[in-house]
Amino acid sequence: MKEYKLVFTGTTGAGKTTAITAISEAPPVKTDVTNTDETLNKKSTTVGLDFGQINLANGDRLRLFGTPGQTRFDFMWKILVKDAFGIIILIDNSRPNPLDDLNLYIDGFKQELLTIPCVVGVGRTETHAYPSLDEYSNALEKLNLILPVISVDVRNTEDVNMLISILMAQTEAELI
Amino acid sequence: MNIADYIVSAAKDECTNLLNEQNGVLAVVIASIDGFDLTSAVSGTLDASRIAAMASSIAAIGSVVTQEVHIGASKSVTVNTENGFVYITYVELSGVSHILNVIADKSAVLAQVIYRCSEIGKRLKSI
Repeated sequence: MKEYKLVFTGTTGAGKTTAITAISEAPPVKTDVTNTDETLNKKSTTVGLDFGQINLANGDRLRLFGTPGQTRFDFMWKILVKDAFGIIILIDNSRPNPLDDLNLYIDGFKQELLTIPCVVGVGRTETHAYPSLDEYSNALEKLNLILPVISVDVRNTEDVNMLISILMAQTEAELI
Repeated sequence: MNIADYIVSAAKDECTNLLNEQNGVLAVVIASIDGFDLTSAVSGTLDASRIAAMASSIAAIGSVVTQEVHIGASKSVTVNTENGFVYITYVELSGVSHILNVIADKSAVLAQVIYRCSEIGKRLKSI
């Protein structure tokens, strides 16, 4: 049996915990605590990690890890991304500067992105159409990165599965 | 929730007293559950804000472990190191749970730090 480690990262409120909860076969491990940051419109926030698991049909297993979103927990990013098979960056398009948010996580994982696949999932595009997906791609191109960028609603299992499928396809095509 | 200034001041005094009075203590940080430092007393170049965030993560991971195995709520986490230890526990300020984090070198006695933290918790809870 092979085990693959996937890391979900991205801005607070982008849906990392939601994504893992949507697809994990067992109730996920969550380290959500009361949010005291009044700039965030959230009751709770992840301060440690999220953990979920999927058993694949061929007997292999996907281990899903979610990072805290805030930069004060960036030490957890480094811990959780160790030996990861791939990274999924979730961005909330309703935030004031989503492209700046993207830069933050691209920079936070720049070493890992040299060797492991990554997919960017942009949420809330149905209510906040800008930046467009093309603008995300252009921003990544300026950083010498070509990554899949798709619109997602991580409350939908199908959307989260699509993120993972794209990640797997990148590896199979050896696009790293 | 904002903690009243006089309570923060009392908490600051507790941190300072523990740092100054207990051998080997290098830093005392009181943080919100989500990792913001409320007040602290640190020596050298230790960064209270970083310590607060890390303590929050450690405390939360300790909590999920104890919940997973159904042995009750986590009360503290101790990280023993080659040259000291990190002790993380909970204290209540204005009815809100906060994290008390003590970092000490090997000249400190863990049991004494645990006792002092317990006493700090009682005093802050009574304010």
